[in-house]
Amino acid sequence: MTNQEHEPLPDEERREFSAETGSLWRLTLTPLTWAMHLVLCYATISLACARQLFPVEVARLGLIGASVLALGFICWQGWRAVRQWNVLTTGVLTHPNGKAEDRHRFLGHAATLIAVISAIGTVYTTLPLLLLEGCR
Amino acid sequence: MIAVLVMAGTLCHLAGSGAMIQSRPPETTALDIPGPVPTERPQGPRCIRQRILASVLLLAGCEGPQSALVPAGVDAQALHLLFTTMLGGAIVLWLLMNGFIYWFSHRHPAAFSEIAARWLIVLGGVVTPAIMVGALLVWGLTLLPDQRIAGNGLRIRVHGEQWWWRVAYQPPGTSGPIISANEIRLPAGRRTEFILTSDRVIHSFWIPALGGKMDMFPGRETRMSLQPETPGRYRGQCAEFCGASHAWMAFEAVVMPPEEFDAWLKAEAKDARPPQQDSARKGQQIFRREGCGACHTLRGTEAVAQVGPDLTHIGNRHSIGAGRLGATLDDIALWVRHTGDLKPEVHMPAFPHLEPAELRDLASYLKGLK
Repeated sequence: MTNQEHEPLPDEERREFSAETGSLWRLTLTPLTWAMHLVLCYATISLACARQLFPVEVARLGLIGASVLALGFICWQGWRAVRQWNVLTTGVLTHPNGKAEDRHRFLGHAATLIAVISAIGTVYTTLPLLLLEGCR
Repeated sequence: MIAVLVMAGTLCHLAGSGAMIQSRPPETTALDIPGPVPTERPQGPRCIRQRILASVLLLAGCEGPQSALVPAGVDAQALHLLFTTMLGGAIVLWLLMNGFIYWFSHRHPAAFSEIAARWLIVLGGVVTPAIMVGALLVWGLTLLPDQRIAGNGLRIRVHGEQWWWRVAYQPPGTSGPIISANEIRLPAGRRTEFILTSDRVIHSFWIPALGGKMDMFPGRETRMSLQPETPGRYRGQCAEFCGASHAWMAFEAVVMPPEEFDAWLKAEAKDARPPQQDSARKGQQIFRREGCGACHTLRGTEAVAQVGPDLTHIGNRHSIGAGRLGATLDDIALWVRHTGDLKPEVHMPAFPHLEPAELRDLASYLKGLK
């Protein structure tokens, strides 16, 4: 980064974007949790039912526990995203300007919506665990 | 139904255009039409009548022995309720959406406040669908285990072949199974368990009027149970593409009052009846001469092979060739003579060299196996 002073504008943008690293992670983490939860559920139940590696009831209870953890994590990240969006204190929903603050709050807005979808998806994946017992 | 109504509408439209073309002045020909003929939406009672006729014709298709829309058992009723609820919901949703479009474009075209629009998106686009899909998911998941609840004793093992069904009844308290094929009889008001397997490819066992379907896999057992309520004849059909004659892999499902069923099953367990008439006796000789016993079993005779369907009581069945034809003498003769034409790639060879009289005798013998 020796050329920082020679090209101030691109570097400024880069710094502003890198300040949002946490927001981008938050945006990604909730759908990733949902996806991993789905794969974990399918894989564990398959291994219990098709390969009989462990009892299906143990798998089911373990996965219900994992679902609670996954949902808790998504809710926690979702709550942090709401706070980043800052809509509850300002009442401002949209971020039409391209300033750093707008960008920061927009990412919070997007992360909130993605967290909501991820939570719904995780709940849907968990429902068969709660309602169906055994392998059939 | 919507598709047929659209078709009827198109037909009305075409009929209308035809009438307009005919009403053109006689000196113009099709070649010197300068531009598009002014069209007018056809109207009048004729089109309405056509649409009503189309709807009635289409609704008539909901009837019949292979319809999930006319449930004849507990399991089919549960699925029917789910289906009609979803259909009703879809209609309400469709009316609501189109009502909104009409209301906001024609009746109340003023600008919508941003807050109201956002609430509409959040409630109508996120909250309501999530709750409705979730509710349907919970409903569907609670129905799933019901398809496999334990029966009242009778178990039927069904093995899918290309393209027919091996059937083995295992009533409680008996030693060996009672072997049959291509027709399944069930006692009304009792729950019967099915154990499903397959020979070479995946099939799917489905009697729409009695319940949901279940896949049949080679080397793996699947289970389901059915509780039919209304005695009658229904049609089952393989519901998983399984080769050239998949569409012809069907069977009759006969629901009987329990006492009648018990009597029938007792008779089904007996050996094949010896031929009673001359023509049937001749037919028996033809059966032996042509080597039919190399593939088929007739219990109580020297024919014990298990390549093809068990024919011990074929005379009682309502169809032959796994639901391919009826079970009259003519049907049996037609089947033996034109097997491959009736059921492409079937393993059973046709017997085109048999004389019509011989075919009739053979059919008479088989029909007598009650």
